[in-house]
Order: sequence, then C-alpha cells, then structure tokens
Amino acid sequence: MTNLFTKSNILRLLAPLIVFGLLYLGWQWVALNLKSILPPFGNITAEFLDRPGFYFSNLWVTVQAALIGFAIGGISAIVLAILMVYFDFLRAAIIPVALLLNVTPIVAISPALIVAFGFNAIPHIIVAGLAAFFPMLINAMSGLRAVEKETLDVFNAMSANRTEIFFRLRLPGSLPYLFSGAKLSITAAMVGSVVSEFMGTSKGIGATIVMATTFLNLNQMWVAIFLSAVTSLVLIGVVSLVEKALIRW
Amino acid sequence: MQSSRIVLHKLSKTYKRGDSEVRALVDVNATFEEGEFITLFGPSGCGKTTLLRIIAGLESQSEGDISLFGNSPAQASRLKNIAWVPQSSALLPWLSIRNNVLLSEFVNKRADRIVGSTRKAEDPDEVLADLGLADFKAALPAQLSGGMRQRAAIARGFVQGAPLMLMDEPFSALDELTRDSIRLRLLDVWEKHRKTVVFVTHSAFEAVMLSDRVVVMTPRPGRIHSIVDINLPRPRTREVLESREFEEKVREVKHILREGWGQDE
Ligand SMILES: Nc1ncnc2c1ncn2[C@@H]1O[C@H](COP(=O)(O)OP(=O)(O)OP(=O)(O)O)[C@@H](O)[C@H]1O
Ligand SMILES: [Mg+2]
Repeated sequence: MTNLFTKSNILRLLAPLIVFGLLYLGWQWVALNLKSILPPFGNITAEFLDRPGFYFSNLWVTVQAALIGFAIGGISAIVLAILMVYFDFLRAAIIPVALLLNVTPIVAISPALIVAFGFNAIPHIIVAGLAAFFPMLINAMSGLRAVEKETLDVFNAMSANRTEIFFRLRLPGSLPYLFSGAKLSITAAMVGSVVSEFMGTSKGIGATIVMATTFLNLNQMWVAIFLSAVTSLVLIGVVSLVEKALIRW
Repeated sequence: MQSSRIVLHKLSKTYKRGDSEVRALVDVNATFEEGEFITLFGPSGCGKTTLLRIIAGLESQSEGDISLFGNSPAQASRLKNIAWVPQSSALLPWLSIRNNVLLSEFVNKRADRIVGSTRKAEDPDEVLADLGLADFKAALPAQLSGGMRQRAAIARGFVQGAPLMLMDEPFSALDELTRDSIRLRLLDVWEKHRKTVVFVTHSAFEAVMLSDRVVVMTPRPGRIHSIVDINLPRPRTREVLESREFEEKVREVKHILREGWGQDE
C-alpha cells in the first residue's frame, strides 16, 4: 500500500495528468474563442449522452469489421510467416509483395473494393484485414526466427524433428513477438475499418464522422473520433491482458 | 573392441568463404575410452568448438571418420546418445527447471523405440538435487542466477542419460568463485554417473582439474599437438587440487601448449 505513493509512481501518474490538463485548457480556450474549430467538451459529452445508442450501434459495426479483419489478416499473416520460415522460396516470393502492400495506402483501395464487392461489410473487412496483415507478418517472422542458435544446437544434438522444434521452441519463443504484432495489428485494423467507412456506407463510426461533416455537426464528429480512439485503447488493453495471462516468464 | 571407444580418424575440416579457406582442423587422430573425462584445451581459434560440433554431428567433417562407440555421430544423435551442453545455458524460459531438465524426454521419442537403444533417462529429481537445485524445480530460468542456470543445463545433460556428454566452455560466462564451486559439483555428479565427457576449455587449471586426459590443440591450422595424461587421484578433492603434483601438471600443460604454439602468451 505504502509504495503506491513512491516518487516514481506519483511522477508516472502526475506527468500525463498535467499534460492532459494543459491540453484540456488549450482545447477549451480554442473552443470559446474560435467556435468553428473545436466545440467545448461539455457539448461533446452532452451530444454523446443524448443518444448513446446511436453511437454504440455504429461503433459496433466498425469494431465488428475491425475484429473480423484482424482475425483473418492476423491469422493469415501468422500462417504465412510459419511457411516462410520453412520454405525459402516462399520467403523470397512474399517479402516483396508484403513490402509493396505495406507502402500502398490501403484505404485508397477502398473504392475499388466497393466496386468489386458492393455496398456491404466485405470491403471494410478487407481493408481492416489488409491493414492488420503487415505488422503481424513482420513480427511473426522475427519471432519465429528469433531462436537462439545454442538452443537449436541442444535440440539438434538429440535429433529433435521439425515438428518438435516448431512446437517446443519456435512457437512458444515467438509468443512475445506475436503479441507485439497483435497490438499493432488490432490498432491498424481499427483505423482501417474507420477510414474505409468514409465511403460506400451509412453505418459505422467512419460514416458517422462523414455525416457530421456534411451537417457541420462538430459535436457528433468529435464524439465519433473520441469513441474510436478509446475503443482502440480498450482493444490494445484486452490483447495485453491475454498476453499477461499467457506469458509468465 | 572399437565399439567401446570414441575413435577420431584423420579428421579434417576446411571452411570455405568465397576464395579464402580456413583450415579449422587438420589430421586429427585420437581415441577416447568409455567413461573418460577428456578436455580439449587450446587457444582461441584452434578448432575446439569445430571438433566438438563434428563429434556431435552438428557439423560435418571435410575428411576422415568418427566412431562413437561403433556409431556415426548421426546415428548416435538419432539414438539420443549425445548430450550437448552449450556455452550459455540455453534453457527454455517458459518451462520450469524440472521440465527444462526433462527436455530429452519430450523430443525425438522415436529414439526410445529403436531396437538396441540402451539410453536410459536419469531421475531428474535426483540429478537436480545432486546439483543443488532441489528447491528450484518449479522455478522458471529467469528466477535463477547465472551459475544456477548453468547447473540446470548440466543437469539437463545428465538426465538425458546419454553415454556421451559434450560441453563447450560451459563455465566461461561465470565469475571465478561460481566457476570454482560448479566445477566441483560437475565432478561429483560425473563420478556418480561416469559418462564419457568431452569438455572444451581455455583454462589449463580447469582442464587439469577435471580430466583424465587433456588434448592440447594448437591453431593455424587447428591440430592436436599432444595428449597429456592427468594421473592425479580421484575424487579431485581440495587436497588434490592444492597439491604440488596438481600445480606441476597445470604448469606442464601450459608449457606443452606454449612449446607447440611457438608463441609467448
Ligand atoms: N562457420 C564457420 N565458417 C567459417 N569459419 C569458421 C566457422 N566456424 C569456425 N571457423 C573458423 O575455424 C577456426 C576454428 O574455430 P573454432 O570456433 O573451432 O575455434 P575454438 O578453438 O573453438 O575457438 P574459441 O576458443 O575462440 O572458441 C577459426 O579460425 C574460425 O574462424
Ligand atoms: Mg569455441
């Protein structure tokens, strides 16, 4: 109990609080003096409390697409990373494609996906999945290859087979990397999902933001922005909890 | 007769890097008896690790033959008859010490069904107790000191129950005091199980203290200069280690190295 109030703990709590406080004051100053730029916080909160159902139902659409995209993109990245560890040909073939994918503004593919798949959830899931794919691929690859040579020697000296080396060494050893990847991926999927909703849909947090722009409803816009940011934080938090439960070393 | 021995016959190893070649080992001949404690002693780059890796089947020789009690290194490895103790402890951080030590029982299960397989795993609890780790069976490697982790790595080697243990400078990362006590522990456990050990070291003191015979190697190209008998009594008690004979042996081994190497260190 007593060490809750150590100097470093207070600092860790206080420092960000001060920054947030200053940001809040700055925000309110702008909101009061330049009304067209930022709405005051009170108005944003009021807007949210006025119709939480509207926001949560839209948020759920976005989160759903993000989670499905994260699952598909993340899992395919892991599977591909595993194959790439074992097949040099695949590694050589896929890395350039993955790099190309990484530099392509994935959101810009959105219109093409809408043309191809229509006005439904699929284009948004694909954008989220593509966004989630790359960070997971890179982390999974590093994790699966980050095996200490000396440990590998111990396994090889007793003729452990590939499957054993994979399940007893590579996979558990890569878990910390997979979780770092997952935290990046899930954020990327969330951003992908939101931004892809700027087009071709009337549902989701992204669509809510666009709608707010058309009606110059600053309050609605900022509620949507804050909600998506908070949601990303919560998703990262959930991944961290699973990580803590699974990695105890 | 040969099948109770380790025979190295005209071994050589050349590493090719582009145009340049490194002759890591040239014409290595030696015979080690079953149950002997052998050390490979020599300066950096004389091919100790290379030789040990070739014996383990982790590396292949360029020329020559090896017989490990009648088997090739690959065959012996397939039977789990080679225990490898590396320089770092190389424990798996997510497994308890007890499970780490039991690694040989989790992998290559086919070896235990091969006809003629004589390897029998030792009791992990007993080996851990002998190495002073009885209270740390459930601990994770990160909770142990460097010296304890190294003892766990040695325990893993003994638990495998392989007739041959290969150790590449397993104590080099430890401080002098820790090294001192861990050497004695190693000898205790070894006296009990009497595996054939090939142990690599830079230290003449360590070589003499542990071995029945010291293989003195010299670099450029790596070769065996001579093999020195260490006919000091066992067990190697503090008394033995503080005797004149012991000091003389250490001096002799150092002298032989200097003479063969033609260099003042
Ligand atoms: N994989 C490799 N490729 C090329 N050259 C190598 C390789 N491994 C070792 N060598 C060379 O072979 C020679 C012997 O190396 P080795 O590691 O066996 O020596 P060592 O006696 O174990 O040295 P140290 O005491 O420093 O561990 C050295 O000249 C080294 O540079
Ligand atoms: Mg070496």
